[in-house]
Amino acid sequence: MTATIRRLAGAFGLIGVLLVLGAVPASAAGETIGTCVFEEILHAEEEFGSLHVLEEPAHKKDLVKFEEDLEKCVEAPSPIFPELDEIIWGGAAFLILFGFMWWKGFPAVQRAMQARSDKIAADLDAAEQAKTEATTVLADHEAQLAGAKAEAAQIVEDARAQADLVAAEIQARANEEVAQMRARAAADIESARSQAVSDLRGVVADIAVGAAERVIKSNLDVDTQRALVDAYIDEVASGNA
Amino acid sequence: MPDEGLDGYAEALLAVAAAEGQSTVIEDELFRVGEALRQNDELLAALSDSRLPIEGRQGVVEDLLGEKASAVTTALVSMVVGTGHGGHLPEIVDAMVARGAANRDRVLAKVRSAIELTEDQKTRLAQAIKSSTGTDVEIRVIIDESVLGGLVTEIGDDVIDGSVRHRQAQLRENFG
Repeated sequence: MTATIRRLAGAFGLIGVLLVLGAVPASAAGETIGTCVFEEILHAEEEFGSLHVLEEPAHKKDLVKFEEDLEKCVEAPSPIFPELDEIIWGGAAFLILFGFMWWKGFPAVQRAMQARSDKIAADLDAAEQAKTEATTVLADHEAQLAGAKAEAAQIVEDARAQADLVAAEIQARANEEVAQMRARAAADIESARSQAVSDLRGVVADIAVGAAERVIKSNLDVDTQRALVDAYIDEVASGNA
Repeated sequence: MPDEGLDGYAEALLAVAAAEGQSTVIEDELFRVGEALRQNDELLAALSDSRLPIEGRQGVVEDLLGEKASAVTTALVSMVVGTGHGGHLPEIVDAMVARGAANRDRVLAKVRSAIELTEDQKTRLAQAIKSSTGTDVEIRVIIDESVLGGLVTEIGDDVIDGSVRHRQAQLRENFG
């Protein structure tokens, strides 16, 4: 900030110098040649009463001086060294202008610069804030992306696990069905075997019992019948029936 | 026929038998008739066939019983058949016999046998049942050759099966 102020002060100084330098030809330009000549003539007429007086030999020196003064009117002003009054007026104007600028312009410029600086700082802060927010958003997006990737990976993993589970279940079910089929087949075989044995036993029982019945019937005479009845009565009496 | 009707006929048969002074004989004959009908479905169906005239069904009864039973027994059976309840005659007779036994403070014991029991055997069997169950019973013997040998005694819902047929069945089960 200080360097900026110094640069501004230098700029104002340069402007003042230019004004002073510019005032030189301006002062010269403020009196035209005709005016200068007219003023020299008026001055000579005031001094000698009439220009004809200068033609007199007694005033030959005055005539020479008058001619030099007139020649000065047609001389070009110095481009470097202005007239003193011009320097004074120019310097005063410069000082006035500089003071005015120091009084009004510089604070205004300083305020404008401060405002601009503040605005730039605010813009920088806003930019920093935006950058921070952008960074935050980016981080959020990256986090979301990472989460989405993790979720996708989890979904894939779950799907794979589910597929493995389903495959395992199918395998287990198939194994169970095979086991059940084997068990049913074994049971059917056992049932058929048991049925065959039972049928065989039935046939054998029929044959044996039939034979026994024939034997019993052939031996069941009256005495035997009475003996069976008596035995039954004895069993009932003994409570063993 | 409801139980009340059976009891009514049973009471009537029992009263007639008592009035004739032949309760034991008539009860025994009616019991045998009832069991014979129970073992002969065709005969039972014929006696209860409403398409046959009552006189015809009563004629069948008289032809079958004839001289095998007393006149009172034949008349009582003919009477039941004539009222159209020939199909229920076994149940009526069972109710009558049970009621008669009850009147004598006894319980009816149906005994199935392949042969006829002697009076001594009946007495000893009644004594054996009393000593075994504590119940005074009245023995009614049913000749049933399917028992082959031994006896099957039914006292109400209790059955004491000592028949050869039962032994054969057990033997068959053991073989099975």
